Amino acid sequence: MSSHREAPEIAKDPVADGTDVYAFVSPKRPDSVTLIANFIPLQQPDGGPNFYEFGDDVRYEIHVANKGHATADITYRFQFTTTIRDPKTFLYNTGQITDISDTTWNRPQTYTVTMIQNGNARVLARNLKCPPVNVGTRSTPDYAKLSAQAVHDMGSRKVFAGQRADAFHVDLGSIFDLGALRPFNDVHLISMPVMNGVNAVQSYNVHSIALQVPIKELTRNHDMPTHQSHPGAVIGVWATASRRKSRIFDNETGTYVKTGPWEQVSRLANPLFNEVIVPMAEKDEWNARPPSGDSRYAKYVNHPELAGLLPVLYPGVFPNLQAYTKARADLHAILLTGIPRGVVRGFQNYTGPVEADLLRLNVAIPPSASPNNLGVVGGDLAGFPNGRRVDDDVVTIELRAIAGLTIPLVDTYTPDGAAAAIDDGTTNTNAAARVYFPYLGLPGGGYQTMPGTTQAS
Amino acid sequence: MDDTSRRRFLAVAGAGVAAGTVAVTTGTASAAEASRKPDAAKESVVAYIKDHRSTELRLLVGEREVIVRDRDLVNRILNAAGGN
Repeated sequence: MSSHREAPEIAKDPVADGTDVYAFVSPKRPDSVTLIANFIPLQQPDGGPNFYEFGDDVRYEIHVANKGHATADITYRFQFTTTIRDPKTFLYNTGQITDISDTTWNRPQTYTVTMIQNGNARVLARNLKCPPVNVGTRSTPDYAKLSAQAVHDMGSRKVFAGQRADAFHVDLGSIFDLGALRPFNDVHLISMPVMNGVNAVQSYNVHSIALQVPIKELTRNHDMPTHQSHPGAVIGVWATASRRKSRIFDNETGTYVKTGPWEQVSRLANPLFNEVIVPMAEKDEWNARPPSGDSRYAKYVNHPELAGLLPVLYPGVFPNLQAYTKARADLHAILLTGIPRGVVRGFQNYTGPVEADLLRLNVAIPPSASPNNLGVVGGDLAGFPNGRRVDDDVVTIELRAIAGLTIPLVDTYTPDGAAAAIDDGTTNTNAAARVYFPYLGLPGGGYQTMPGTTQAS
Repeated sequence: MDDTSRRRFLAVAGAGVAAGTVAVTTGTASAAEASRKPDAAKESVVAYIKDHRSTELRLLVGEREVIVRDRDLVNRILNAAGGN
């Protein structure tokens, strides 16, 4: 998936597992950027009585680099506090929750937002309320109201932290079954009948941190670039989660004692980077490293394993890709440096020669009036890999790029016909995105959401 | 505490605690016994010797990690931790 359970260690620690990062110029407020970092993957809406929540023992951060060195020039830090109102009950809620402050919510969460810049930490807000999870029709009868109450103003910024519907769509069941894409089942090495893709993420929730910030707060010179070639127009974004270095189980209290400095355990910028590019044995280390040291992973971008697998899994379908043995300068630019001027007309999101996995957003490119969810590949310069919008179909974009569709941007090459057609056959069947902040759809409710079906053979 | 009496102490201590956990008293007061300084840590501390062949000890306290290089201290901890 984008980054759901993408590495062995973090797959065992879902509360700290970053799943997706989004960064885009806000459609309704184009003088601002919306940054979204999702955590805690694949939440069943009915996962009670101990429903999903942010970890009090996890430090969640969204970082922005604006000087080309791929280190954080601005960090927004989110730290959560959970309270038990009534320690005598096992219930998450002791009655209907019709207001975010209702005392019937037995396990409220609040959070503090801190901005770190130039080595100085400044608390932007304290005791901001999260919404409860969407328990069900009886417990949370007007979830849209609870969600709206959890959108907070912080001066010229907006912030939200709480449960949302996942917006990512992908056919996990097929892709991780020997690289199968159901629409192309008939030409797979192990041939099967063609069928539509199955969106494996549909109906699952995540926990989302969304922040809307004036562009001037994020750019190098605190200005508002008006042309895409402006030297300070591109920002690099990534999100991390950190835990204390030591965690010791205290069997007298049944809880963990945490000690020591915060250590990064999860990192995410471009979707699928750690998941698909980095080999399994290096994924955990990648999660603990800063993006500024990503040059060690450049060899996996330049010669991605998946590009070698496609011609094997789909014999005869990708002959040109199979014959292309040069380093993939197109992927290197898209994922590690940004696309320099002159490659795509009217566009650049180059941040300099430092190789780093960053979600690079050119803030001078205004939101698209008619978004194309294939982003830059589809001719829409306001979409991925110019940042990432909630509805961007990053699986298709990255599949086609790896299949060779973007090689002609940097080299003389004729893509295989399949490169422009390849996809996993899924469409966005998740909850509809909202047109306003925090953009991600409302989370599915525990009572209302029906589990899927299962088959052993 | 010599090795024989130390083993005896561990056997007694082990009888009263959960399997895998022992309580150790390492020696009685001596001329080398340290006293607490005013700025000594006043909270839980985790000591971590990553490599038993080194002289490095990592102390986790609050949100800090203090790296100490002290062969004698490391040896005393390793001695206390081993040999049961």
